[in-house]
Amino acid sequence: MNADRLTILPGATEPIYRQIGSQLRRLIASGQLPAGEELPSVRDVAVHHAVNPMTVSRAYCQLEAEGLLTRLRGKGMVVAAGAHAILSPEQRLSRLQPQLAEIARQARELDIPARLLVQRLKSLLEDSE
Amino acid sequence: MSAVLSPEMSSDDSIRCERITKRYAGQTVLREVSLDVPRGTVLGLIGRNGAGKTTLIRTLLGLERPDHGRAFVFGEPSLGMTDFVKQCIGYVPQQPDAFAWMRVGDMLEFVGRQYPQWDTDFVELSLARWHITAGQRLVSLSPGERQRVALIRALAVNPELLVLDEPASALDPVARRDLLREIVARAAESGTTVFFSTHIVSDLERVASRVVFLHGHRIVVDAALDDLAETHARLKVPAGSTDLSANRIPGEVSRHLQPDGSLTLVITRGRGAAWPEIAGAPGVRLDALNLEDLFIEVAR
Repeated sequence: MNADRLTILPGATEPIYRQIGSQLRRLIASGQLPAGEELPSVRDVAVHHAVNPMTVSRAYCQLEAEGLLTRLRGKGMVVAAGAHAILSPEQRLSRLQPQLAEIARQARELDIPARLLVQRLKSLLEDSE
Repeated sequence: MSAVLSPEMSSDDSIRCERITKRYAGQTVLREVSLDVPRGTVLGLIGRNGAGKTTLIRTLLGLERPDHGRAFVFGEPSLGMTDFVKQCIGYVPQQPDAFAWMRVGDMLEFVGRQYPQWDTDFVELSLARWHITAGQRLVSLSPGERQRVALIRALAVNPELLVLDEPASALDPVARRDLLREIVARAAESGTTVFFSTHIVSDLERVASRVVFLHGHRIVVDAALDDLAETHARLKVPAGSTDLSANRIPGEVSRHLQPDGSLTLVITRGRGAAWPEIAGAPGVRLDALNLEDLFIEVAR
C-alpha cells in the first residue's frame, strides 16, 4: 500500500489519527488491503501528508491493539492474518458513530427523552429481525 | 547528522519557562506564561496579531529580558546560554533581515563557518530545489525567497531545536507544503523539537503534536492536538434556561453572550473525564470543535 491511498482532512472534527484509523479499518474490512499487505512506514505517511509522525504511529498502534495489524521485524506493519474477519461488534458499531451522534443531537433539539428514543430504535431493530 | 548533546545538557525539556511577564512601555504583552516543551514535541503557537507570540518566542530564546519569570533552553537559562546550546538552535525570525547586503552564497558560507555540524549538501540541494542562485544579493530577493533562505540557514545547522516565527507567512502553498514536510521529516528522523507560530490553523493541525493558544497575553489553551476534540467542546446555553451569570463553570475557557441572550462557552476536561453537569441540562447543546472553531470561539 502507498501512503497516497490515505486522505487527510485537517479542519475536520475527527482528529487525524482517527481519520487514518477509520480509513484503514474500512480498507481492511472490505478486503482491499489483504492479509500480509505491507503498510507504508510511519515516516512515509507523515512526510507524504505532512502530518505529525506521532499521530500516524498512534493510529497504527491502535489498529495493532485491535489485532488488525501486526508488526513484522524488518518489514514494519502488515495487515494481520484474518484481520477482515475479526472486527468485534464494538468496532462495527463504531462505524455508526457519526450517525448516532447526529441522531442524539437532533433528539436533544427535539427534546426527546432518551428512554423513548431507545425504545423506538429497539422496535426498529426487532421489526427487521 | 544531529549535533550530539553534551551530558550536562541532559534536561528532558528543550524549552521551559516559568511565569514570564513582559511589559513594553507600561503595556503588558505577556502575563505569567509558563510552558514545558519536552524534546521531540512539535508545538504550534497560535494567537491573534498582537497576542504576544513573537515576544514569547524572543523571550524563550533570550533575545528579550522578561520583567518577571525565567526561561530555559535545554536546561540553561535563556539569558546565559553557552555557545554549545546556541549551536543546537535553528531560528527563523518573522522578518529575516540579517546580512541583507550579502550574497546568498557568501552569507550561508559565513554563517556555516560558525557551526561545526553545518550541512553543506543540504544547503546546495535546497537552494537548487527552491531555485535560488548563490550569487543573488539578499536584498534583491522577494520576501518568499528571503524566508526560504532563512529556513535553509536554520535547517542546515541540523538543529535539536527549531524555532520558526510565522515561517509560512511569505510562502506560497507549494513552498509551504515543502516546509511542513521538512519539519515532519526532521521530527520523524532526528526527534527534532519544533516550536512554530502561525496563523494558518490547518498547517498547525497537520504537523503539530501540541497546540498552545495565546490570547489576552496569556495561555488559554495548551493541549495535545490528537485529544483536542475529546478535551474541548462548545457549549450553547439558551437564554433563560440556566443562570450562569454568577459562576464560572468547571473547565471554562471562554464565554460569549450572544445578542439573543444565549451563552456560548468553550469548556475543557481532562482525558477520560466527564463534561460538567450543565452539559446535560435541558436545551443545552454540546458540540465538538475543530481547531479553527476553537480559535474563533475563544479569540473573537
